[in-house]
Amino acid sequence: MATTAPLRSSFARTFWVNAIFAPRTSLGFMRLDFVLGTIFIIPLTQMAFFAFVASLSGTPGGVAFVVVGNAVATVTYSSVFSVCQTTDNEKEAGTMEHLLVSPANRFALYFGRGLIPVLCSLATVAVAIVYAVVLFHVPFATGSVGDLTVSIVLTAFAMVGFGLLLGGVALYLRTSIILGNIFLFLGLLLSGANFPLSVLPLPLQYAGDLLPLTWGIAAVRAGLAGAPMGTMLRLWGYVALCGLVSIGLAMALWNTFERRALTTGSIARF
Amino acid sequence: MGARTYSRSTSLLAVLRLSVLTFLADPQWLVPSLIAPVIFGLVSYELFTGAGPWFVLYAILGAGMMSMWGQTLYGSGWATGQDRHLGTLEPTLTAPTPYVYVVAGRVIWNTLAGLIGGAIVFVVVAITYGHPIPLANPLLFFLMFVFVIVTLAAVGVVFAAAYVYTRYAGFVQNVGEFAFYIGTGCMFPVVLLPFWSNPISLILPPTWALDALRYLAIPGYQGFSWGFWWDMAGAVGTTCVYLAIAGTVFHRVERHVLEAGDLNDW
Repeated sequence: MATTAPLRSSFARTFWVNAIFAPRTSLGFMRLDFVLGTIFIIPLTQMAFFAFVASLSGTPGGVAFVVVGNAVATVTYSSVFSVCQTTDNEKEAGTMEHLLVSPANRFALYFGRGLIPVLCSLATVAVAIVYAVVLFHVPFATGSVGDLTVSIVLTAFAMVGFGLLLGGVALYLRTSIILGNIFLFLGLLLSGANFPLSVLPLPLQYAGDLLPLTWGIAAVRAGLAGAPMGTMLRLWGYVALCGLVSIGLAMALWNTFERRALTTGSIARF
Repeated sequence: MGARTYSRSTSLLAVLRLSVLTFLADPQWLVPSLIAPVIFGLVSYELFTGAGPWFVLYAILGAGMMSMWGQTLYGSGWATGQDRHLGTLEPTLTAPTPYVYVVAGRVIWNTLAGLIGGAIVFVVVAITYGHPIPLANPLLFFLMFVFVIVTLAAVGVVFAAAYVYTRYAGFVQNVGEFAFYIGTGCMFPVVLLPFWSNPISLILPPTWALDALRYLAIPGYQGFSWGFWWDMAGAVGTTCVYLAIAGTVFHRVERHVLEAGDLNDW
């Protein structure tokens, strides 16, 4: 008599299936038109808006500074705002219960869903940097393509990790839209996208240091300027650390939420 | 017993009341439309620091207008989208009350909510500034601020009408948000934009109204060369054109629905 082993999906399969299906399910709002608009239109208009404001203010070097900062900050749309809404979509579709009783590896499941946003984020920042150099004439050290690429990739991963963390927080909220909106724009104030962090009060500087976007912007600025490898390694380390901490906290939050849901037998209260 | 009839004004007031009650039931929705303007106002204020005392008005006007965009234009534009989302678009369109009165009730409330949002943004930026805001005539400034909201609402009504025919309302509003800020010159004079883009800006009523507001509030302001009164004339004229377009489109929408029987084609 043949024995049947319990069917257990592999880590890779769970990751891949979620990566493929998420854009049609929990990330269903990320239609092609939305993605193309996020990659090609929003960076251009956001950078142009702040460039005009900076040019009116007359700050020397202000335009190049805000253009680069906003080029990187636009990553927030696809990484943070989109990813943190997956929780809402699960609840709205009534699939959260099914997810909680699934034996799938949670890290593979949640990070798999972040794959498409990571790719969108990479494309968004890359296109924005091209806009910055070609349209806004931001100085670009040609030998620093490699540094810039590493900076962009790390920033995209770290920001999606941050989006997953907010998604974890949103489990306890009725809606993630408000949380998403807060962090969609807060980075413009606290990350040094538009002015050096040093002009902010000290508590806000510390708050800014906790955001992966702050270090991502610093790494991209340093990459564009052709900074030495020691500086780049330090900045990449901070970006990676922010990303890893975000993902770790996200997993902890999801686990806590799951345990509470299994204990009470209900997720309706959230 | 005769059939009970309702006047259009009764319907309008009922929709307005429902909009207020819906808002009060979940007022947190004012927050998303305030976060961006408040932060943009603070960022702009920081960028304008050292550029002169009048520049705080650029930050306040720009951020206030962004808030009104969120509440007035976005909300009014979504006035149709919410019916489509809830599946009530066809029943509402086939009700005895013309659909434009239903949308008008929502737009009136969104306009009032936009004013609240604008006031909150004003207060936040003013507190950050830490000095009295240099306003020569606060009452006139307030009246002009209300007028800017009306011009925004006119754009919102046209959006609401157009969105009956498209499912891309959210896309247009989200992706086009910064383009609208730039096009209307909400944080800087439109004359800073390339000359070829000025005709596009002048199609939008808030462009004229904001330029007029700056002429009123900022001494030595260099906006459109024709000055305050022609700005006002342009704002009134384009607002009337927008309202006329919206009325025409709504009329056509109702005819289309009655002819086709549903709106699934769009």
